[in-house]
Amino acid sequence: MKKDSDNIDTTKEEMTPETSAQHEVISRSSLRSLFLDFFKFGLFTFGGGWSIVAQMQKIYVEERKEISSQELLDLTSVGRSLPGTMIGNIAILFGYSRHGVPGSIVCLFAMVLPPFLVLLIVAGCYTAFRNNFWVASAMNGIRCAVVPIIIMAAFNMIKGAFKFKACYLVTVICVVLYLLFDVNCVYLVILGAICGLVISEFYERKGGM
Amino acid sequence: MIPLITSEMLGHGWMKASEISDIVAIAEMTPGPLGLNCATFAGLKAAGFIGAVAANLGALTPSLSLCLIGAVFFEKFKKSNIMQKILVGVRPACIAMVIGVIFTLSASNYVTDSGISVISIAISIVDILLLRIAKLGIPTVIIISAITGLLIYGVLGF
Repeated sequence: MKKDSDNIDTTKEEMTPETSAQHEVISRSSLRSLFLDFFKFGLFTFGGGWSIVAQMQKIYVEERKEISSQELLDLTSVGRSLPGTMIGNIAILFGYSRHGVPGSIVCLFAMVLPPFLVLLIVAGCYTAFRNNFWVASAMNGIRCAVVPIIIMAAFNMIKGAFKFKACYLVTVICVVLYLLFDVNCVYLVILGAICGLVISEFYERKGGM
Repeated sequence: MIPLITSEMLGHGWMKASEISDIVAIAEMTPGPLGLNCATFAGLKAAGFIGAVAANLGALTPSLSLCLIGAVFFEKFKKSNIMQKILVGVRPACIAMVIGVIFTLSASNYVTDSGISVISIAISIVDILLLRIAKLGIPTVIIISAITGLLIYGVLGF
């Protein structure tokens, strides 16, 4: 696991956006495949933005091993805490990490295009669509898939999310704050950041002595 | 987002109150994030295709501006010592958000007016097996679930 992430780190060094002009020679998703991937993500994103994270986990972490699950988790946290639509932000952040500004614009527009086109068609006959028995049945089925998809993503992302034992405590506290006290995600990320600094500092000093 | 759209649409006289309640229903039935779908729908109703494009661009502006700046800084500093320390705590917080979302979504998807929906839970368990054991892709699982929904809720009438 450690070795894996080290490998990714070294390749990442050459992959900074500054060198995006030479992207043809580097083996990572091309702009074209980014467009196709994010078009597909957009088409199959049901039940809120988290299923796109699950799809990215499946494609980029498991299948192509382009990024580690930690990196995806990092993008998600940053995307969730910035203003705007979470999945729009994640598309921008991921696209930028691949191909700089062009990458981010390609990812964002590829992702919003399918819902836009679907709505263009549906909006014309939305009353019929809305009250259609068969559409509702299919939607009920799709809704059943949403939670399993997110559970599987969470399951896979948990690996490597907890560097120290104290990190579990951060998760427990944040879950309680989120579910019971309805605390905004931005504050949870800020709390996490502070805890991260304190925990890392603590273990560093403990290790140093 | 929804209350904001409601008050703006009514304030400008672009939509009727009954149409606004449809927005959410339609936005949930079509793929994509709820906020963007609401924007598209509201834009379409208010000013046709151009309105939909304008509403989308408007809704995406924070991502295109602030988040792009954020992306530049994040790429630059993510390897730094202090950022790595921060992320040690942010990752568990992010996992917590996912767990939170799983709970809230489960509550809305499995608990209906007539109690806990055993059939929905059964379909979900099958979906987990399809994802985990059969290693099917997410689009495939969504399509299978849609067909299962058609058969179980539609044809069999549960």
